[in-house]
This record gives sequence, structure tokens and C-alpha cells, in this order.
Amino acid sequence: MLRYLVRRVLIMVPTLFVTSALIFTVMSAAPTNYFDNLVEEMQAQGEKVDQARIDFMKHEYGFDKPPVERYFWWVGGLLHGDFGYSFEYQLPVRQVVGDRVWLTILLSFSTIVFTWLVAFPIGIYSATHQYSWGDYGLTTIGLMGLAIPHFLLALIFLYFSNQWFGLSIGGLMDPKYFDAPMSWGKFTSILSHLWIPVVIIGTAGTGSMIRAVRANLLEELHKQYVVTARSKGLSPWRVLFKYPFRMSLNFFISDIGSILPSVISGGELVAIVLSLQTTGPLLIRALQSQDIYLAGSFLMLLSTLTVVGVLVSDVALAFLDPRIRLLGGSTK
Amino acid sequence: MRAILAALVAAVLGLAVLPAPALAGNAIEKVEDSAAPAIPPAVDDGAEGAPASTLPIPTPVETPFFADAVAAGKLPPVAERLPRTPRVVDLPAMGRQTGRPGGTWRMLMSDQRDLRFMTVFSYTRLVVFDEKLRLTADILQSLDNQDDKVFTLHLRPGHRWSDGQPFTAEDFRYWWEDFANDKKLSPSGPPLALIANGKPPRFEVLDPETVRYTWDDPNPGFIPAIASANPTFIFMPAHYLKQFHAKYADKDELAKLVKAAKVSGWVALHERKSRQYRGDNPDLPTLDPWRNTTYAPAEQFRFERNPYFHRVDSAGHQLPYFDGTTLTLGTPTLIPAKTAAGDADIQARYLNFEDYTFLKAGEKVHNYSARLWEDGHGAFAALFPNLNAKDETWRNLNRDVRFRRALSLGINRADINNVLFFGLARVSADTVLPQSPLFKPELAEAYATYDVAKANALLDEVGLTKRDTDGTRLLPDGRRAEITVETSGDNQIYTDIMELVGSDWAKLGIRAYVHPSHLDIFRQRIASGSTVMSMDVGMDNAVPTAEFEPNALAPTQDSQYQWPEFGLYVQSSGSEGRPADMPEVKKLEELWQGWRRADNLAEQRAVWRDMLQLNADQVFAIGVVNGTRQPVVVSNRIKNVPETALWSFQPSSYFGLYMPDTFFYADSKG
Repeated sequence: MLRYLVRRVLIMVPTLFVTSALIFTVMSAAPTNYFDNLVEEMQAQGEKVDQARIDFMKHEYGFDKPPVERYFWWVGGLLHGDFGYSFEYQLPVRQVVGDRVWLTILLSFSTIVFTWLVAFPIGIYSATHQYSWGDYGLTTIGLMGLAIPHFLLALIFLYFSNQWFGLSIGGLMDPKYFDAPMSWGKFTSILSHLWIPVVIIGTAGTGSMIRAVRANLLEELHKQYVVTARSKGLSPWRVLFKYPFRMSLNFFISDIGSILPSVISGGELVAIVLSLQTTGPLLIRALQSQDIYLAGSFLMLLSTLTVVGVLVSDVALAFLDPRIRLLGGSTK
Repeated sequence: MRAILAALVAAVLGLAVLPAPALAGNAIEKVEDSAAPAIPPAVDDGAEGAPASTLPIPTPVETPFFADAVAAGKLPPVAERLPRTPRVVDLPAMGRQTGRPGGTWRMLMSDQRDLRFMTVFSYTRLVVFDEKLRLTADILQSLDNQDDKVFTLHLRPGHRWSDGQPFTAEDFRYWWEDFANDKKLSPSGPPLALIANGKPPRFEVLDPETVRYTWDDPNPGFIPAIASANPTFIFMPAHYLKQFHAKYADKDELAKLVKAAKVSGWVALHERKSRQYRGDNPDLPTLDPWRNTTYAPAEQFRFERNPYFHRVDSAGHQLPYFDGTTLTLGTPTLIPAKTAAGDADIQARYLNFEDYTFLKAGEKVHNYSARLWEDGHGAFAALFPNLNAKDETWRNLNRDVRFRRALSLGINRADINNVLFFGLARVSADTVLPQSPLFKPELAEAYATYDVAKANALLDEVGLTKRDTDGTRLLPDGRRAEITVETSGDNQIYTDIMELVGSDWAKLGIRAYVHPSHLDIFRQRIASGSTVMSMDVGMDNAVPTAEFEPNALAPTQDSQYQWPEFGLYVQSSGSEGRPADMPEVKKLEELWQGWRRADNLAEQRAVWRDMLQLNADQVFAIGVVNGTRQPVVVSNRIKNVPETALWSFQPSSYFGLYMPDTFFYADSKG
């Protein structure tokens, strides 16, 4: 097991290296760069543009150097935990991201928990009551959640939460708490705003998870060992949760790989529509303005989390399911 | 002198000036002939243009916001904070109410870069334009101008920066010697506005409150540049910035600061700390009514009143009335909804005409009024045939004045106005608005009437006589006459306008398609000649007086969509782009140079007239409509905001011309 772990971790290094090179190449391949954008932007806003000043800034940020050199400079910084410099904000990336990470994590964890709390009971019910009215009804609702576009749902929620509950439109808290330190008022304000994006982002995940739980559980329920357990007189609940449910969790564990990055990036589109103070809108804006170190560092973080997540789920699967064995290394 | 004449003219005509700005313009014209006048001490002498007389300085009243700090001895009392001769704003004479201090102005913005709008809205400049576009001293006490060659600037004695340090001639000297003429900080030398006929001025400090700039040749662009919405700053808070300047700072201290800011050197650090227009450094002292107190990044930026601001009302209250403003950042598309939900007190940015009905619906519930101001562009939408297009056939057509005129005559502007703007806009070519003293009806009407027969005749004359089976004309090289008009994707209504223009042009045998793209790609395609025709707003400052530089009417910038390469050539002093090879465009360039050399207003006005005439005649930009409306949402609790006014960057700095420091909450809830 230890050997396996070491090997996997070692493979991660070239994987991430290739990813970073790809990210950098794609971002540098755009016909314009941040400074061209800056000139457009300044002209559009009535600021005078001084070519000498632009050249100075290009020099200042090393944009007069060849791309390969800039790439190694960026990656070198990443290795030291320096995410580079955001042109747009003229601040280190780490500082720009700041508090947003915590709000994003809060939002994403709440969404994941919401999805589980809704999807598991419904999935189990649907599987155990296959083809009943309840099964049809609940899965239909789940599929509708999957089918309705996020942003549309967000707009509808936005309108009614303001009309009915008088909540400020958009955002994760009332604007008056933006710069305030954490307090009871701020906390409750966050909670009263949080449920909207949680429900919106959660509905889609719920739909697909219900389907997955139902399908996996159904497959197990008809297996011989379940029939045997039942015939030996085990209580229906015990039968359900001791074996088939546990087996049906495999898909769920292998999904952890994608959960980790989604904790950081969750629901960008909804975040933009709802004007949330999460990292999503920041990433999109960085991509738009070609703020390459900010965007690049973000994408690298997401890639790293994906790779780590996949490793975690592989290891967890090995523990959970006795049928999964680490044969790869030993047979070759 | 000018003001007296203005008053006389207005009186003789027997007309109230304010409701009809065009008439105010006439008044300006009459006084323009007096060559290079001195700018008198500031007086806000009201709508009638009363004689310039310095108002008595009222006894200052302490602002409640600072009462505690003053009582605790942390801040000097108001009488000591104000300059010895503050600018007294006579609100009743302006037809406004004297207000009461207090309250916060909440505003919605989308981006950290929008902080600069506080500098624009504040419109505190050395010299400012007033509501009638007359120049008035603001930060300066007065300014003497000899033949546009020698400018003597008199500061207000006792004027202080927002941190309480004196504002003196040293701040001008520092900017001139240690910033504008420092090879490292300003690699391209002093800004263009300070260069006359290729030469910079001589700068002298006469005494701590007086500085002088002397040019050998006239420099009429100097005053408009320092009075602009985006001013050429010629001073900087020296006492603050010296700590970042290698010439003054202790070497080790500076190295530490550079390291802490994670920049490459002191030049970058100085650059970052000194941006007065951006308003993003809370430590940078300012002379504006409000100063930023929030460090980036943040979701909400708070500005607080400047305790040393130099304006007072006639009752002795130090301006501004609002204690502060907040700028809350969010998604731009949500701003109309948030405004309608009462989340902003005065809001116009990010509101569009199509939001108006929706904003109107929320008026009663959230106690605001949605007003309509007039857009200040020469055209809300104008078509720009690219004279530098790569496609040879199209380039030749675009360069043929008959082709441009035909396209302009072939647009049914009245229909577009009725369908998309409820008839509230104005059918006009892309030229100055009627509010400008330079306006002539012929300019607006030039080739802006709808005349299909004439347009078709012109196109036949150009040689586009062959047609395809569906009636589409064929180009000389045999292709169908199909134009793709490109727009920047930010403005949805351009697509709608182009739909209508396209169906009009179909009657001429020309097919048009619209293609929106991202702003930077849009501009880049035009600059590289890939775009045959584009659509965007027309003239930026469409309410100019002859004192403004007519650089938009000639090729001067690479961002001009009708001649990007000619513009680039002028902008780069001939090192990039290509020289204008059309006699009419060359003529415009010469005229513009003539304006820069002119030594009196009469000459400058003549240049403006010629340039406007030539542009109207040549139809380099095909204007569709102008005078469209900008929704402005104002809380009913706030007074002194005009019911209707001009919404433009130049000359009015959006709200700036109407002095947001005099807006106030009528009730005490704040």
C-alpha cells in the first residue's frame, strides 16, 4: 500500500507539470494580452494612454521576456507557494483571493451536504419502492431540477426572495456587513442569504445523485446475498444498510475526486448571476481580462485538487470495498 | 468681464439661461472673442449670470461629523481647516437649496476600477467648468493668462491636503521636476497638454502660493486639459510621495517599502502610490470632497468626507453635505434590479434606457424617482466606414464620399427613433448637440434625411449598377454587396438598431449583417483593418465650446474607428501607422494643428466650424440618432440633484458639473 501511495504521488508531479504547461500555453496563445486589454479599457474610460507607461508596465511584469522564461518564473513561484501577481488588482494573487476562499468553501460544503441530505433518502426510497407513485414523483422532481438552467432558477429566486422576504438582491450577506468583522448579525445575514445559492446549485446535483443512488442500490438489491440475508430473518433495515447500501456507495466515493475542486470553484455561473462573493466570479473576470497569473494559479489549484481528490477516492475505495485490491504493482 | 457680458447678453435676449442650455451657449460665444481672459476668483453667481463679485466669506459652522474629533483635539476646528479664502458656493443664486450635512450616498459599481468614478463625480480641479460651461477657478484662487502663453496660478492661502498638510507651490514643483521631468518616472516626458509647438514650458515658483508656466508659443489646450473630466494633474502631494522617491527617501527605508509592496523597484512603487485619478490608494492625500478609506481588495469601498475641503456654502457649512459615499461592487447586470430594490441613493452608471420602465415601477415602494437625463454623445449609435480596411474593394468604396453619403441617406432614422426610443431621441448626424454654441442645424441635418431615390442614384453613380437576382448590388469584383457591421458585444441595442438599418439598406440593394464581439477583439480587428464597418457611440464631447480641443474630429488616435491607421500615425509622431493619403482627412489634420497653434478664441472657433463642416459634409461617421435618454435614479430624500441635465463624460464629468458635494438629505435620518 505504501509503495502504491508513493508511486501515485510521484506520478502526480509530471501530471501537474504537463497541466501547468498546458494552462500557460493556452492562456498565452490568445491574440491579445492583459496590457492590450488595459489600453482598451483605459481608452474606453477616458484615461489617457501613454505608450511609454505601458512599455514600462510590460517590463515591470516581465512581459518583454520570452514566454518560456515567464513560464518558469511563474511555476517557480508556485512551488514556493507564491501564486504570482494579479495585474488587474495590482496585488499578490493570494491577497486578492483572501476571504473569498472561506465563503466559497462554506457555500460548497453547504451545497454538498444539502445534496446528500436530499438525494440519499429519496434515492433509497425510490430504489426500495421501485415503480411506485412515490418513485415516479420524486425522480421527476429531481430530473426537473437537473433540467432547469441554474441561472434561470437563480433569477427567479432573486426576484421572489426580495419580494417576499425583503432580502437584499444578490450577494452572500447584506452589503452593510461587507467589511465588518464577523458578528452575530453578519453570521445570520450570511445564513439568510446562503440558502438561495445552496438550493439552486444543489438541485442539479440532487437530480443526478438520486438517479445514481437508485440505480446502484437496485442492482445490489436483487443479488443473491440480499435474498439470503432476508430469508435468514434479518430485519429489512439491517439488510438494506449493512450490505447493499454500502456496496452502492462505491460510485459516491469515487466521486470525491471531483468534489474537492468543486469546493473551491462551485457554481461559477450562479455566483455571477447572484453576485456572490465567492472565487467563481473572480476566476471568470481574470480569464476575461487575461490576468494570466491570477487565472493560471486558480486553474492550477483546481488541477491539484482534482489529482489529490482522485488519489483520496482510490485509497478510500480500497478500504471500503474488500473486492478492490492493489494488483497493479504486484502482477507486473 | 466675461461673466458681465454673459449676463448682459442673457438679459438683452430676455431669456432664462438654465432650462435652455443652447442659449447659455450663445452667451458663451459672445464673450469668446475677448482673447485669452483671466479666470476670475470662483463665484457661483447663479442662473442669471450675475456680475462677478466675491461673496462675503461666511462664518464657518462645525460639521457634526467632526464635532467629536474637534472636541477631543484630534482635528483643528473648521475655521482653521478651511483655506483663508474658501470657495463660497452660493446655492440660492444657482436655484438650489442650502442643505444640511450628514448621511451616506450609496452607489453600486461593478469593478474596483470604477473607483475612478469618484474622481470624475467629485469634479474638483484647479479650474472647472460651471453649469454654463464657463471656466471658474476651483482649487486655485485665480489664474492669470497672458495670450495663452504665460499662465500664473494663484493658490488659496492656507489650503490643505486631506491629511492636514499644506498644499503649496512645492506640490507643483515636485510634480514638474521630480515626476514629469524625471527620466525614470516619466519616460516620455511631460504630458502632451504641456507641450506647445514641441516645447515644454518654463516653470517658476514665484512664492509658496504662486506658480507660473511660460511657453514661447500659445498653448490653448492647457486650461481645458487641467479642467477636464480626466484632468492632466500638474501637482502631487509631495510630502507624502517623497518617501517613495529615490531622490528624497532614505535608501534602506525605500528598499523595505519596495520589498513589502512586492514590486520590482521604487519607480513601480511610486507609480502605484501616486495615481490620483484612480482613487485606489487610501493613503494618498487628496483635495477632493471625499477620500477613500478602504484598501483593496474589498466588496465595498467607503469614502469619507475630506476635513480640509475648500468649498463652503453661503451659510458657512463646509461642503460636501454627504458625510460619505459607499461603492458596493457586484455583477453589472444585477445593478438595475438592485437599484429598483432601493439599494442605491443616486445611481446612473450601469442603468440603461431599456431599464427605465422597470425602474419607474419601483418608484413608489422604494421612495425614489427615476429621471431621464440627456445622453451627451454626438450620436448614440454611429456607423464608421473603415478607411483603412484591408479589403481593397471595400476600402475604395468606403473612401468614396458618394458611397458614405448614400448609406447615410438610406437610413430611416425616424423609424428607429420611434421603434427603439419611443420617439424620445433625435434624428441627427454625428455632430455637436444643440446645447453647444458651435451647433448649427445644417450639421445635424447633413445627409440625415431619408431619401431612398437619391441614395440609389448615388450608388449607381459610384458604379454599383449590376445586381444579383434578388436585387443585391454587385461589387466591382463580382461579390455581392454584403457588409458585416461589427459592434462590441456590451451594447445589445446596437444589434436591434442594425436590424432596422439592414432592412433600410436592403432597399438600396445592400445587405448588412451585425456581428457583436468582445471589446478588445472588436477594437483589434478594426485597428488591423479586418473590419469593413463598425458601430459605436459617436462624438465623445458633443457639447464643446471652442476652448475644447477638437481632437475627435481629426485623426489623432489609433482608437478612432474610421481611420485607425491615420490616427496611429499622428499619435506615434510618425513611427507607426500610415500618413493620411486622402486630401479631406489631411485637411482635418492641418485644421487641428491650427487649433493648437491658435492664440485667440475667435481663431479656434473658426477652426471648430471648419472641422465640423468638413466632417458633416464628408460623413466620416454616419450618425443614427442622438439625444437618447439616460435613466438617473435619485432617492426622494435627496435634494439639489437636477431634474434633467446632460449625461456625459466630457464636458460634464457625469454628475461632476452639478456638484455632488451640494447634494444633501432633506431629512435627518441620513
